Amino acid sequence: MAVCSAYTTQSLNSTCSISTPAKTHLGFHQKEVVFYRRSSKRGGSGSSSGPCVITCSAGDSQTVVIGLAADSGCGKSTFMRRLTSVFGGAAEPPKGGNPDSNTLISDMTTVICLDDYHSLDRTGRKEKGVTALDPRANDFDLMYEQVKAIKSGVAVDKPIYNHVTGLLDPPELIKPPKILVIEGLHPMFDERVRDLLDFSIYLDISNEVKFAWKIQRDMAERGHSLESIKASIEARKPDFDAYIDPQKKYADAVIEVLPTQLIPDDNEGKVLRVRLIMKEGVKHFSPVYLFDEGSTISWIPCGRKLTCSYPGIKFHYGPDTYFGNEVSILEMDGQFDRLDELIYVESHLSNISTKFYGEVTQQMLKHADFPGSNNGTGLFQTIVGLKIRDLYEQITSSKTAAPLEATKA
Amino acid sequence: MATLRLHSLTATSEKIPTSPFVPSSRVLSASFHCNEKRVSRRMTINAMGGGAKYKGTQMREKQLSEMIEKKVTEAKQVCEGDETSDECRVAWDEVEEVSQAKANLRLRLEVEKKDPLESFCLENPETEECKVYDD
Repeated sequence: MAVCSAYTTQSLNSTCSISTPAKTHLGFHQKEVVFYRRSSKRGGSGSSSGPCVITCSAGDSQTVVIGLAADSGCGKSTFMRRLTSVFGGAAEPPKGGNPDSNTLISDMTTVICLDDYHSLDRTGRKEKGVTALDPRANDFDLMYEQVKAIKSGVAVDKPIYNHVTGLLDPPELIKPPKILVIEGLHPMFDERVRDLLDFSIYLDISNEVKFAWKIQRDMAERGHSLESIKASIEARKPDFDAYIDPQKKYADAVIEVLPTQLIPDDNEGKVLRVRLIMKEGVKHFSPVYLFDEGSTISWIPCGRKLTCSYPGIKFHYGPDTYFGNEVSILEMDGQFDRLDELIYVESHLSNISTKFYGEVTQQMLKHADFPGSNNGTGLFQTIVGLKIRDLYEQITSSKTAAPLEATKA
Repeated sequence: MATLRLHSLTATSEKIPTSPFVPSSRVLSASFHCNEKRVSRRMTINAMGGGAKYKGTQMREKQLSEMIEKKVTEAKQVCEGDETSDECRVAWDEVEEVSQAKANLRLRLEVEKKDPLESFCLENPETEECKVYDD
């Protein structure tokens, strides 16, 4: 949103021409429109024709920046789709640009893949013996500069890392959106970038679940076998533990995905236990709770009013500490089978920042074909999406500045 | 002459799986219109693992599949000596990168049911990549 103040002592109904100097004598930079009144040479009478200056500072349209740490590739993840869907509209790659771009753009949001800030391409990493997880393969200075620029309303030419060729492609123009999401392995690694984030999320997948998911992902591929999948995870683990995992202590919200406790010795990774760990005291963010905020609750919704099929659903809520921070944890173990289970659960959650009753259910149904739509991953991703919307609205309404002043002589 | 290839699938009444990579609806639908002159352009095939409309996407799918195979073999060779070496870790990281890229492409085709080259090809219909995939 822009604030325009018009400074003039002259009437504005005289002929004014528009000039947009980069820097005016008034000392402002950019985004300024200066109207100069053409002085008509009509005698000496009348007022002196000074310039009528209207300055619009677009700096008020600050972009809200969200960071998402995830090890599941970029921009195409389900979380991003759910998030952009909460705001409305579908996220698409930039039209007409590089077809291998990782960027997604919708009306309100732009999602940037942090792989684009690789300083070393695939060959370079091979030569230096560093994985993509290693900070040495990434240009954090550039990341910081560009995120800072976008946040302050300036478009940037962002590099493109092509995952197919493994090369760095020519840059693409990124215009400042209302909400910028930076997604990748290192959104919270660099302190300067961390300070730019209005909200940060870390997707923490446990080793067992990661293994199960990667088996489902890769087993159909000709080159892969159980051994190769396992070996790949094991080989990446040291770098992952050293560089990626430590970021979770900085996150405002962590979505932790674990194997279920409802089925003994389950290793299929189909039924999941998902924990939403929410930091207390974060500006514009009020954690979701069950029944009584700050207390500890164990809840099995299935019973007389609601019948669920095996293995059922189990909720837990309570305060805790996480890496030295005060947090509230909401946990769901099990699966939704039917629509009415979902709406029943939604009606018992508080602080979910919905705009109408049933919005969470509606969002989940809208994307019933997305993975995780029947368990805590989908539920908590949707809820976090709504919390982000709420955060965005709070931030932008607190910036609703002074109304337009236009003076007329 | 164009041929219509159908992948036979058993429709499952499985619940929505939780993996991010396997979509729930494995619906097979094929519709085609034929006229005497041109057959291929009007065929649309929506099958598991398909949905690739443009040649460029088909090429990328093939390329990524081949890379996965190649890089897995490479990684196994490199790691024979020392599993903890830098080279070994980098090799498996490459495998992960291309596996993920392939999965993302598949996900886009199957869940979004839209060819990723769609908007590019609207603006550049004459390029090699944008030839409509017909067999």
